[in-house]
Amino acid sequence: MTMSPAADPGAVGPATATPTPTSAPTPNGPEPAISLERVSRWYGNVVAVNDISFALAPGITGLLGPNGAGKTTLLHMLAGLLRPSSGRIRVAGQAAWHNPSVYRSIGLVPEREAVHSFLTGREFATLAARLQRLDDPVAAAAKAMQTVDLEAAADRPIGTYSKGMRQRAKIAAALVHEPPILLLDEPFNGMDPRQRIHMMALLRSMAAAGRTILFSSHILEEVERLADGVLVIVAGRLAAAGDYREIRRLMTDRPHTFLVRSSDDRSLAAAFMAEPAVFGAELRENRLTVRVAEFAGFTRAVARVARDASVTLYEVGPTDDSLESVFAYLVSRR
Amino acid sequence: MTIFSTIAGVTLRALLGRRRTLLMLLLASTPVLLGLLVRANDNELRNVGPTIDGFVVRVVLPLIALVFGTAALGAELDDGTAIHILTKPISRWTIVVSKTAMAGTLTAALVVPSTILGGILLGGTGSPNLGVTLAFALANFIGSYLYVAIFLTLSVATSRGLIIGLAYALIWEGVVAGLLPGSQVFSVREYIGGIAQALAPKAVADSIVGAGGFAYAAIVLVLAIGFGSLRLSTYEIRGTD
Repeated sequence: MTMSPAADPGAVGPATATPTPTSAPTPNGPEPAISLERVSRWYGNVVAVNDISFALAPGITGLLGPNGAGKTTLLHMLAGLLRPSSGRIRVAGQAAWHNPSVYRSIGLVPEREAVHSFLTGREFATLAARLQRLDDPVAAAAKAMQTVDLEAAADRPIGTYSKGMRQRAKIAAALVHEPPILLLDEPFNGMDPRQRIHMMALLRSMAAAGRTILFSSHILEEVERLADGVLVIVAGRLAAAGDYREIRRLMTDRPHTFLVRSSDDRSLAAAFMAEPAVFGAELRENRLTVRVAEFAGFTRAVARVARDASVTLYEVGPTDDSLESVFAYLVSRR
Repeated sequence: MTIFSTIAGVTLRALLGRRRTLLMLLLASTPVLLGLLVRANDNELRNVGPTIDGFVVRVVLPLIALVFGTAALGAELDDGTAIHILTKPISRWTIVVSKTAMAGTLTAALVVPSTILGGILLGGTGSPNLGVTLAFALANFIGSYLYVAIFLTLSVATSRGLIIGLAYALIWEGVVAGLLPGSQVFSVREYIGGIAQALAPKAVADSIVGAGGFAYAAIVLVLAIGFGSLRLSTYEIRGTD
């Protein structure tokens, strides 16, 4: 897991949609597409989702968190497949739980692979269209298959599909009734890079058309590239919510440790210590470890410092960029 | 296509598309094989009723209904494929009824011909055996839907529907209902016997419910479907993190 502080956050997301996940539903104005008020869910003594509130407007929001954080539980509650233990969930202005009519407004792409393998992709999408009571289910299914770029394999049984193709078939079935709200649980799992890019473009265009899209991911780059709003969930709690750039600033401003290999580690260590962004350097077993106060400041300074000290850099990399450490840091700030 | 036929259609393909159909076909053919065996020895049963009751009604029908009934919805809830039907704007009642109808029809499609063919091979077409055979065929037709409705509901209510259904068929109906007088009114097998006896008096030696089997069957069918729909409407997905 690495982060790239040089990337331009302004390039992320569609220009026309700005989802603004807030930590509480908006008090006035039209009802948000999705709103949660103090929602918790527990299984026996285990708390899976803990007192979460937020509201989502149209656009793409990433639900980011490590595996087991409660992302799927949250999505399943939004999709009316789990009853919240406490709190209130509204989706498209309706109760999500115990209310099948809400599915006219929701498209759900579950993470589980489970699809009847004997159905062809086209049959699967047509089935969804018929169950949505669409006027022309065959045409709607054909359009959905075209949207997810699965026409070539549309008449093959899903059992013969690759993981990425099955994922696209599920997305086609979820899109077939053109719902205003789309919930996707780890939608990029199993997709190759080309499919990923295509799917991201598709989700962006749907968000630009005014849809509310919430997708979960445990991969920072996916959220960074696609979402402009982000909800970070850790151990069932909402650790951060809002604009991606703001949250990334929190993530990137935390203390970091870098591992550096160079032609002269000792001279470089001395030179680093003169930098304001660096507050420690350690040379052990021919490895230079540098502790820095600010991620971005150090990455800007490192090349200059090495050049001024006439040292050749062989390798510079962060050592603590596991997603868990990022999340732990966000949680500790709450 | 209606919602009903759409769900029934995909349920049928899911039930047929697996090896279990072959096994069920084998199970359903055993009364016919038994009849052929009797014919091969140039024999014919004087009263075919006890054999159909003891073999088809007690073993073949409940087992086939158990397999199709739990597979139609419970297995889909367990493996996750049901999520694609559950997340549609369809009443849960429609889902339970259409799946019960399909699994019941499939069960009847195997058990009824098996009853008729087996009965005729075992007892011939003379009186009263033909009447008894046809009475059991109709009773088993009704019993197919009834058993399936019960087992399907069990599979929605619990992830151990197959085991509990098997326990019901073997322990409750097989042992308890025979030992505790009065408990027979909670036995589908007893309703089937009553219906058969109402249509052909020689079908079973004695029936506690008699023609009341029709009423019991109707009540239990409605209750099972109602309870199954209720459970499905508050169904919570299994296997969430």
